[in-house]
Amino acid sequence: MTTPKTAKICEGVNFNFISDEKFKTTRVSFNIFLPLNIQTVSKYAILPAILVRSCKKYPSFTELNRQLEELYGAAIYQSVSKLGDVQVLSISAVGINDKFSLDNKPIMSEITELLCDVIFNPLLENNVFKLEDFNQEKRQLIETIEAEFNDKKTYAHNRCEEIMCKNEKAGINKFGTIELANELTPKDVTAAWREILESARIEITMIGNSSHDLVYEKFQKNFLNIQRKNVVKCENEIIRKCEKIHEFSETMDVQQCKLVMGFRTGLALPEKEVPHMILMCALYGGTPSSKLFLNVREKLSLCYYCFSSYTQIKGIMYVECGVEQKNIKKAQDEILKQLKEVKIGNFTEIELSEIKMAAIQSITKIKDNLTALDVWYTGQALCDRAKSPEEAIKEIESVTKEQVIEAANLVTLDTIYVLKGSEN
Amino acid sequence: MKPIERKSERLGERYFYQKHPSGLNIYVYPKQNYNSAYALFGTKFGSINNTFKIKGQDKTTKIPDGMAHFLEHKLFEGKDEDAFKKFARTGASANAFTSFDKTAYLFSCSDNFNESLKILLDFVQNPCFTDENVKKEQGIIGQEIKMYEDSPEWRVFFNLVKAMYQKHSVNVDIAGTVESIAQITPEILYDCYNNYYNLNNMCLSVVGDVDAERVFAIVESAVSSKKCNPIEVENIFESEPKEVSEAKTTQNLAVTLPLFNLGFKETIAKERVNAEDEIYTEIILSAISSKSSPLYKDLLDRGIINSSFGCQYFHGPWFASVIFSGESKQPDLVAEIIKKEILKARTNGIDNQTFERAKKMLYASYISMFNNNSTIAKFLLEDCFRETELFNYIEIFSNLSLDKVNKRLSEIMNESYSSLSVINPHE
Repeated sequence: MTTPKTAKICEGVNFNFISDEKFKTTRVSFNIFLPLNIQTVSKYAILPAILVRSCKKYPSFTELNRQLEELYGAAIYQSVSKLGDVQVLSISAVGINDKFSLDNKPIMSEITELLCDVIFNPLLENNVFKLEDFNQEKRQLIETIEAEFNDKKTYAHNRCEEIMCKNEKAGINKFGTIELANELTPKDVTAAWREILESARIEITMIGNSSHDLVYEKFQKNFLNIQRKNVVKCENEIIRKCEKIHEFSETMDVQQCKLVMGFRTGLALPEKEVPHMILMCALYGGTPSSKLFLNVREKLSLCYYCFSSYTQIKGIMYVECGVEQKNIKKAQDEILKQLKEVKIGNFTEIELSEIKMAAIQSITKIKDNLTALDVWYTGQALCDRAKSPEEAIKEIESVTKEQVIEAANLVTLDTIYVLKGSEN
Repeated sequence: MKPIERKSERLGERYFYQKHPSGLNIYVYPKQNYNSAYALFGTKFGSINNTFKIKGQDKTTKIPDGMAHFLEHKLFEGKDEDAFKKFARTGASANAFTSFDKTAYLFSCSDNFNESLKILLDFVQNPCFTDENVKKEQGIIGQEIKMYEDSPEWRVFFNLVKAMYQKHSVNVDIAGTVESIAQITPEILYDCYNNYYNLNNMCLSVVGDVDAERVFAIVESAVSSKKCNPIEVENIFESEPKEVSEAKTTQNLAVTLPLFNLGFKETIAKERVNAEDEIYTEIILSAISSKSSPLYKDLLDRGIINSSFGCQYFHGPWFASVIFSGESKQPDLVAEIIKKEILKARTNGIDNQTFERAKKMLYASYISMFNNNSTIAKFLLEDCFRETELFNYIEIFSNLSLDKVNKRLSEIMNESYSSLSVINPHE
């Protein structure tokens, strides 16, 4: 049974530990949840990167990294992601277990120490982040935003989300904008760092085979020095239905056009019918036996990829595909036709049970992957209670055909985004 | 022949290897406490195998570009039923890939492993190519080709390969072109299949929550009836000159931030780089360009790299290159500084502290690999085709010497044989 032991460090800060002897490495992640807001998004987005760069104890990028490398190539990763209307800042440390150390070095305890150093004791000059380092990270944040444009699949998905959710927090890019990034100052960002430690919702997750008590104590000790205030609430706005379809297209020099269609599903966490929608989405476009794969790709040869994905926290489903310009309308029509097929129940009990099996196996596989396990639990930090993979499987098992049809009939098309080639 | 057991004391793990009488190489690596399993069934046939001759004959045959990849797509379609449909009944998640030197078919699952393994062994060994299904695939692969043409990361890399390699078929597009795949017919597919999908040329690796005995038994019944003659195919590779084709290649795509790949071509004396040389190369790359290195600091301080910066040792049959890559607003300057640093390292030698640190990092990344069923399975497949051994790497780590590091450094990253590939935004 993969259920974490959870302990409260202080209000709004939880520590979860999943013991698992089979992995050769241990992972500790520190995750911060904040409402997406155009005023703060870039200010927050730069934080993880600037924190993992150096710290008071190892006051340069080179020194900190040398220390990590000495700890057998331990890594401290940083990332910024979105959970619907919520911005998530993550700083994670991974290292090999102590028993693999060739010189009896207590690797995990030192890595955790370093992780706490970067989070709680950063390198400050005159009480703010050092200007040189700050400017480096500002430049890199801007380059990160620019790089999203380079990958057209990501770009198209982001654009559809931006347009569809323009009146919701989820419509804000998780890094913000280049203009906002340019306006950042060390003073603002340092203040943001303090604010966050004082009032953000924080979830610490540790997975592996090392002593969790030590890790828990280190974090607890550090939080004793923080004056925690009221925890900032993170909520997701759910729009159940779309009354009017939005269409938007752009032209760029690309060989392959991208089509992204956003749907409101009417079902989102914490509703208990969410597993019905998970299965509906899998049946519709989640596997190579799904309606989208079999029809849009295999039968009609319209595209190399065509799949659907469901964001449980926002109740939104996306269908994405790469397609030739002359086939855009054809693909769109077929995508909607296949959704109708599910709505009228044109699928067999056997097909449903096969999809269930695939969904159950894909959840089970999460237990064999350290990062996937972390993401599984961190992604539920805003729920009242985190479900284990085993619990999620039980829910999937009990979904009926009628429930899948009911779920499909809640789905309405909201936005169609097309990225066209300039000469095709 | 009974399966041989190979153990690693340090890792506390073991696997079994057997060369089946049919010629198939089989690796089974049971993992305790894992909930899932991964199976990989591959053949030593990739995009570089575009010219061959049959042993004893004079005639050489050229295969259309993109053939190995096309075959990979087509094999999923059986006579009666698509393999994906069969896997749907067991709940396994299946896929395949074609790379420069191999094609592999795989699945992962947490239940019904035995049934899924039977499906894998069955569909890969029972091809069915018809005019109709060949035509259909040309459309789908055409879309895949376009997708890769738009990918700046793929293009910057492949343009580099084309710029470095004048004759070696590593410079051929893996998926081919729309024109080259239009020439493919069922007859050519069967011909290639019969030549290259010979069990002597193939390997099955299974990792995870499996019962080794059961796996060997399943393989036995799936292949025992197959009479695989020894391999008759001889791959022909044109002799590759030391020199690169072009020192610089650029392309404009719809990007905001330029990407670069800086490659250093190595001339190798044997078909494959051996494990020791490979490890020494990785140590050198780590010593020169890891995050704690003076090079990284210099590039970062100048504001000309970001966290995308990295390097890899890219090697296969008769080719090997070191490639530095990343996003940068000043790729030419980055290339210049890297070359200066390499020269400096060669002059001063790599010092012992840096060497020890690089060793630790490489050792740890090797250990971490064993968390993952799919990583182990791919490593085993690679081992099989290269004739290296998985646990042997640990031995090599314990016997590395600084002298040999510096000697290896003199053999690689020669500036005279380097190319820079850049993807720039449109003007």
